[in-house]
Amino acid sequence: MLLLGIDTATRRIGVVLASENGLLGRVEIGGPEDRARPRHAEALAPAIRYLCDECSVSLRQLSAVAVGIGPGMFTGLRVGVTTAKVLAQTLRVPVIPIPSLDLLAYPLRHSRSLIVPAIDARRHEVYYAIYRTVPGGVQRDSEYELGSPDDLAGEIAARGEETLVCGDGAQRFAASFRDLDRVELAGAAHAAPSLSALAELAIARYEREEFSPPSEVLPMYLRRSDAEINWQPRSA
Amino acid sequence: MKFRTQSAAQTRALASALAEVLEPGDVVLLGGDLGSGKTTFAQGLAAGLGVDEPVTSPTYTIVQEYEGRLPVAHVDVYRLDRVQEIYDLGFDDFFDGERVTLVEWGDVVARAFPVDHLVVQIVARADAAAGPIAGGSDVGGEGAMVIAVGDERDIVLEFQGRWQERRPRVEEVLAGYA
Repeated sequence: MLLLGIDTATRRIGVVLASENGLLGRVEIGGPEDRARPRHAEALAPAIRYLCDECSVSLRQLSAVAVGIGPGMFTGLRVGVTTAKVLAQTLRVPVIPIPSLDLLAYPLRHSRSLIVPAIDARRHEVYYAIYRTVPGGVQRDSEYELGSPDDLAGEIAARGEETLVCGDGAQRFAASFRDLDRVELAGAAHAAPSLSALAELAIARYEREEFSPPSEVLPMYLRRSDAEINWQPRSA
Repeated sequence: MKFRTQSAAQTRALASALAEVLEPGDVVLLGGDLGSGKTTFAQGLAAGLGVDEPVTSPTYTIVQEYEGRLPVAHVDVYRLDRVQEIYDLGFDDFFDGERVTLVEWGDVVARAFPVDHLVVQIVARADAAAGPIAGGSDVGGEGAMVIAVGDERDIVLEFQGRWQERRPRVEEVLAGYA
């Protein structure tokens, strides 16, 4: 089988091609350190084209499209998820949606700590979840959450366990985590959702036939509000 | 912090001077009734940020983006009804520490924006006009009246969150307008 994976939940634009025998190749553009404006809409399709060409893969050969569904950067997610859905629908292959926080946690599965990926949510907030390592992978031990770095630091302190914090949110708000007891920061290599994790997890799900029709795949949005805007001033 | 301007040109000049303190990631919420001059103020800010193309009201487009000394996103939430729409439009990505975001009517829904922001309230001075005159610059949504009054305005700056620390700097660049 041949899998195309896309993750655009952060400033990093990531594309990966893989088969059951491993990665064929990947393209990454941008990252948390890169202050240039991310151009997900402009760069994603050419990146897919480039990777397919370099790996001598035609889109028609794909068996499935995997996509990181966030939570994360709003515009990036829309571009990534839409591209994955359109490709899958056109090629008549399934989509395999995977939360981008899972993709940050999975590569750290050999650690003995709690693993806490945090993705920058803007507005001085982070998207995060708490994972435990289990044989062969990680298991999520919290909801997918949105909160301030200090909320997260409080939650980590309350658990009182060895903890490894990763993701671009951990980098950006390192000051909130650095001085906590028994907490380590995973560093720049673990700032963006892992493309090899995307390939590995998606192929496993493909083999178990855990996939979704393209129309049912949506980005994960955690910032919700039921409030109406109080337009008294408008009608006054 | 309060200023008074006598004309749209003066409002623009004040806004343009204020632009000097703006940094990447800043959010400025513009408040005031229809016709008070929120777009005029935004035009001044944009000019001060080095935008040389014409800046028009984003009431119908909701967002207009410009390139100046810093990238500028000019937003108008007047046509939105729910806070969720603000999230769904992806404004969050504007608060990425790179551009300046100007939001007309943003004061009405300030909690949907980052806590560190500057509010600019523009108040048309009622006694400044003999009465409403046709031809305001700020056109509202469906059924809204076009309101115009005289050109005299009170402009009130409210410093929220970390903007409070920047008050002295703002006082400095606007000293000529006090």
